[in-house]
Amino acid sequence: MRPPVVLAALAIVGGTALAGGDGPLLPPSGFLGTWNVEGKPRLFPGSELYGHIDGGAEIFFEFGFEEATVQRYRSPAGEVVVEHYTMSDPLGALGIYLGKCGKETPDPTLAERHTAGRFQLMFVRDRYFVIVDNLAGTPALTPVLVEFARFIASRLPESRPVTVFDTLPKQGQIEGSRRLIRGPVALEAIATLGRGDILQLGGRTAAVAADYSDAAGKYTVIIATYPDVQAAAAAFRNLTDNLDSEIKPLARTETRLVFRDYDGTFGTASLGASRLELRLRLRQEPPLK
Amino acid sequence: MSRSHISMDVIFEMNRREFVRTVTGCTAAAGALMLGVPTSAREKEAAPEVTTNIAEFLKVPKTPHSLPGPFPGRVVKVTDPRSLVDERVDGKVVAEMVERGIRTLTGTSMKKSFRMFFTRDDVVGLKVNPVGPPLISTKPEIAEVVISWLVDNKLPVRNIVIWDRFDLDLKDAGFTASRFPGVRIQALQTMVEEGHSFRDAGGNHISAGNFDPDVYYFAKGVVGKGVRGYQDDEFYLNQHVFAGEYSYLGNLLTRDITKLVNLAAYKNTGNGISMATKNVGYAAVCNTGRLHAPLGFKVCTEVLAAPAVRDKLVLNITDGLRGQYEGGPDKNEKFVYPNRSLYFATDPFALDAVCHRELVAKRKEMGIAVNEHPRFTEYLNYAEKLGLGIADPARIALVRV
Repeated sequence: MRPPVVLAALAIVGGTALAGGDGPLLPPSGFLGTWNVEGKPRLFPGSELYGHIDGGAEIFFEFGFEEATVQRYRSPAGEVVVEHYTMSDPLGALGIYLGKCGKETPDPTLAERHTAGRFQLMFVRDRYFVIVDNLAGTPALTPVLVEFARFIASRLPESRPVTVFDTLPKQGQIEGSRRLIRGPVALEAIATLGRGDILQLGGRTAAVAADYSDAAGKYTVIIATYPDVQAAAAAFRNLTDNLDSEIKPLARTETRLVFRDYDGTFGTASLGASRLELRLRLRQEPPLK
Repeated sequence: MSRSHISMDVIFEMNRREFVRTVTGCTAAAGALMLGVPTSAREKEAAPEVTTNIAEFLKVPKTPHSLPGPFPGRVVKVTDPRSLVDERVDGKVVAEMVERGIRTLTGTSMKKSFRMFFTRDDVVGLKVNPVGPPLISTKPEIAEVVISWLVDNKLPVRNIVIWDRFDLDLKDAGFTASRFPGVRIQALQTMVEEGHSFRDAGGNHISAGNFDPDVYYFAKGVVGKGVRGYQDDEFYLNQHVFAGEYSYLGNLLTRDITKLVNLAAYKNTGNGISMATKNVGYAAVCNTGRLHAPLGFKVCTEVLAAPAVRDKLVLNITDGLRGQYEGGPDKNEKFVYPNRSLYFATDPFALDAVCHRELVAKRKEMGIAVNEHPRFTEYLNYAEKLGLGIADPARIALVRV
């Protein structure tokens, strides 16, 4: 049962800013002269996100979803919907964004990390992920989406530099292939290694992933950095003891596993201090050492 | 806005060796039980089973209209570059495509095709997919063409029902009374908005009466209590109407509709697809939130085996005018592309098998990391074993028009 949340949501659109900056978080009626709020904003706290997202809400929860506000706008030119997601931290928002942005097509006038299209603009700033939908896909509204985004971004705290990807090798990394992983939902998009939270990320430890290309072909690297050596070792044990049954272990030491995956490609899992590194979809069987 | 089912992807913890060896039960998630068990030992263990009532479904004799219908393994793909131009669907071209598709599928005229599937007394349900409008939901133009075909063959317009599970989704996707005059627009249930109880004066869910207590999909020991991702059981009930071991079929399917036309969209859900079989499998019943984790895509097979579905689902048309290869089942423009194709089959499993392969190829073409683990397609093979359709590529005939 949903709690009465209308008053809280009204504050987001017409009242005080909840995240930063001055004024309302979302554009008020009269925005750009003709855009008026259509109906009440809808707030989806916690797991009530299922009431808004039909398929795909789980990834939000894995990355630390807190709440979403959805507001429709109407003008003689068309209809726009803003979906504003608050995550528990900036990495959570970035993780969602990276999973959805595809090959980024930015508008040169918008400073935030974003991708803009005819039907949708999505951007990330600090711990906020925002989608602005142009429901009819009218090309003339593309600049309007940018203005909506600019307004909302101006109300949010600035993003801080992201260093989490620094652990990934740079050589051979395919541009635009970076991903964040905090649990099984994000991992499953890349590989099926075993059931449940096989890497024991727990929604808190962030693993990073990227695709690579070299003379032997394309492969994928995943690096998880744990809080301590013990946690990394436990994750390695969990992985090696509970590998997906389609994966055949070929060789194993205390710190390294070589395996063949369901599709005949090879993979490795290597434990080093507090770090677990996986290499997947290798064309040639790698050595144990 | 969108509603309803949870994504099929990860929560869907299906057993890796998914195949059911008997029809009395089905293998299911073994996740938690497997933790800490060495691989060698695990391989020898029998996976825990979730007993369902699939055997009861299979005991019911088939009818002439039972799946996979008169054309098992036959899939027709009609492509026309004029169908989607500058993001606008051309209704006239779509009408031509639908006619070409049906005629190619059946090998006969539209009039004879009508007689092959329907009588004039039928009540025909058009199951649309309204999730992700306007980009990746079923286009109303396709429903309009099918309705014209039915009405042209003297089926009363009042005998046509456009339906889905949730009411608000239908409206958002353009399935409104004003656009479809005379046609019933009906959802199996409503999900109550903020500030209002979903219970009636008797304490029951206001949509409880929309489901048939005598016709159900049963999954032993799988209940809607403490389901992962739901804030509490009350919230689960709001969305799923019931929370026990039974997922009742909608009255619309069991008592009202006599034939079903499945108008699915063409999109992914994680590494799998959300097309023909999921469009019905997860929409014909309530209380589905509990099913994703232990049974996953298997529900798409077993619910379609229910006689109320199996014996009425006569035609499947998948709307591939646009496709979405990533980010589904909700819309994501970054992964939507003009596919300009419609797909036709009486066999929804062959249809999904074809579309799954196509979408995987598209994902590879677009540089998406592709996870082709068998768990994402085993439900199709399972359907073939149950005699509901064809999944073996060697036995599928794809006809391109």
